[in-house]
Amino acid sequence: MSDRQLADWRNHALNLESEVNKVVVGQQNPIRLITTSIFARGHVLLEGDVGVGKTTLLRAFTRGIGGGYQRIEGTIDLMPNDLVYHTYLGEDGKPHVSPGPLLMSGENLSVFFFNEINRARPQVHSLLLRVMAERSLSAFNTEHYFPHMIVFADRNQVEKEETFEIPSAARDRFMMEIPIVVPNDNDIMEALVFDTKFHNVDALVNNVKPDVLQFDELNAFSGVLQNSVDTSDTLKKYALNLWKATKAPLDYGVKVSGVDMNRLVLSGASPRGMSMMLRAARVNAWLNERTAVLPEDIHAVFHATVAHRLVFSPVYEMRRTEIAREMLNGIMNAVAAP
Amino acid sequence: MTQFIRLFYILVSFSALALTSPNAYAIDSQNLPDINPAFVSMKSIDPVRLVGYTVGDVIEREVILTVKAPYKLIETSLPIPGYEKRHKGQVIGIELKSIQHTKKVDDNSTTHHIKLAYQVFTNNIVAKNAALGPEYLNLVNLKNNQDIVKFRIPTVDIAISPIAIFGQVKIENNMSPFLGPLPLNHDKEENWLKISLIFLILSALGLLYILGMRAWLPRMGGTFAKVYRALRKQEKSAQGLKESVALLHAGLSTTANFTVFSNNLEQFLALKPNFVGLRLELEQFFNLSRRINFEPKYLDPTASFDSDVNAQLWVIKFARRCRDCERGLSPEKLATPSMKPGL
Repeated sequence: MSDRQLADWRNHALNLESEVNKVVVGQQNPIRLITTSIFARGHVLLEGDVGVGKTTLLRAFTRGIGGGYQRIEGTIDLMPNDLVYHTYLGEDGKPHVSPGPLLMSGENLSVFFFNEINRARPQVHSLLLRVMAERSLSAFNTEHYFPHMIVFADRNQVEKEETFEIPSAARDRFMMEIPIVVPNDNDIMEALVFDTKFHNVDALVNNVKPDVLQFDELNAFSGVLQNSVDTSDTLKKYALNLWKATKAPLDYGVKVSGVDMNRLVLSGASPRGMSMMLRAARVNAWLNERTAVLPEDIHAVFHATVAHRLVFSPVYEMRRTEIAREMLNGIMNAVAAP
Repeated sequence: MTQFIRLFYILVSFSALALTSPNAYAIDSQNLPDINPAFVSMKSIDPVRLVGYTVGDVIEREVILTVKAPYKLIETSLPIPGYEKRHKGQVIGIELKSIQHTKKVDDNSTTHHIKLAYQVFTNNIVAKNAALGPEYLNLVNLKNNQDIVKFRIPTVDIAISPIAIFGQVKIENNMSPFLGPLPLNHDKEENWLKISLIFLILSALGLLYILGMRAWLPRMGGTFAKVYRALRKQEKSAQGLKESVALLHAGLSTTANFTVFSNNLEQFLALKPNFVGLRLELEQFFNLSRRINFEPKYLDPTASFDSDVNAQLWVIKFARRCRDCERGLSPEKLATPSMKPGL
């Protein structure tokens, strides 16, 4: 693919970002990260309180990239088959089966949103994780494929009752965990409360220009993009040092206040996690009109791609978000490039 | 009776024989008449030092005696080693230790070389006088055996010093108000002192150099001062440029105490306001680093360099300006534009 085509796709991507930024205000960084994950073809775990605009954000993206959008709410009694089919009695009084959220859009499914994933049982997690990893599902004696699907899952870190912790192996399948927080800017906060255009979500999402991207071309373009952005030897060395530092932060002089660093990390980032980090960094470089990855590109996605993969001692799990942020900041400050 | 007469006869015969031989009985030399000075001449080589001798010391003198014919030295009158000389019945404590005698016979004279070695066998609690000699030599007139005369080798006066001062001595009473203390030769000690001082100063300077992190002056130990010195030693090449950029990165990170990238440059400038004046050059440096380390295709839209060598020279100048900022000085203005627009 020529540089011109790369530039055209970049313009589309930036246009999509711009459209989403019109309806979801004050979330430039999460929007950039979601754009990055869309082009890196990675699933995303959204973290944030209720009512901060996660669903609106995903609907806006879905409208921009086209394809099917499906959503399911995680509950404690949700079973794996609820994702696959529904059974009901029809008007004719006979039982009927209709496709569930996963099968409803068929191969055109582009965004699958699992709301409050940590309220679902581990059986449901297992099914979803297989779909995420293989983008396929066996049902009704048929293999169903979802080649364009990206899973967005949401979890509320504050409420712990009637929830199931997502195991580290499951978290590792998400390319990113993106925190969605309420903007601090007073003008934006005031607009969110008093501007009536934010009251009607459907009308708001309809403001997004539809089909800015072609969802069914993203897979092919993603491969081209990954091959067109270089990584120098210096950057490879830097990335490897970052990886090592997630495993043994003390070796790089990284400390977190109030934490016994010898006991903190049970497991650092996985090879899959570092691979996903580099995929995301390449997309970030491309979005910034670079032909090679810089350390700054890694920094832009480092927290989102690595923090949720770290496995801490149980005693520190309650402070995971805070500790992971401080530790990863320390790693970026400690590891030099070149 | 006959036997008694025979024994008496034998005794009388031996006694008559002993009395009639001129060499058979000791001649008291001091009672002989002195030789006519016309027939003898003497030179002596006496010791230079005449004081400060003490028990055990050996003192040598040499006598050269010329005896003219018809007189001849009776060699048996030469002094005998070990003979105790006495003065007024008291042993004077100086003995002849050895004697070497040689002679040279000419037609009308004979020259005798007599080397005398005396040894001191006395001591005292105070200094006392003593003398080597005198020695008396006997000479005989070969034309008239009855003409036996003497020659007196004159004495050499010396002083014998005590080994140690006896008893308690009050130094002040012994000091002469007219004499200062005896000066000691201290050249050797003074030379050693100078060498030691030089060694001490060099050691102290070396220690300061080590303790000062190999910097002679207080401000030479700064991070960018070291970086600047290291950059000047780098080889001017593409590899040298890469290493120079890495060194400067390390200098920035050390100064900031965190790794400085282009995306946290503002944080660095907020922490180190001395470097605010270098904002543009810092950005140019990160652009250069981007091209060198990460993205060879990158062309800095604001600035670039003709060659890697020029870029390396620019890095050296930039390091110097960073050093100035580190020292709290205003960085000197660049004499020539360091960077040119476009390639």
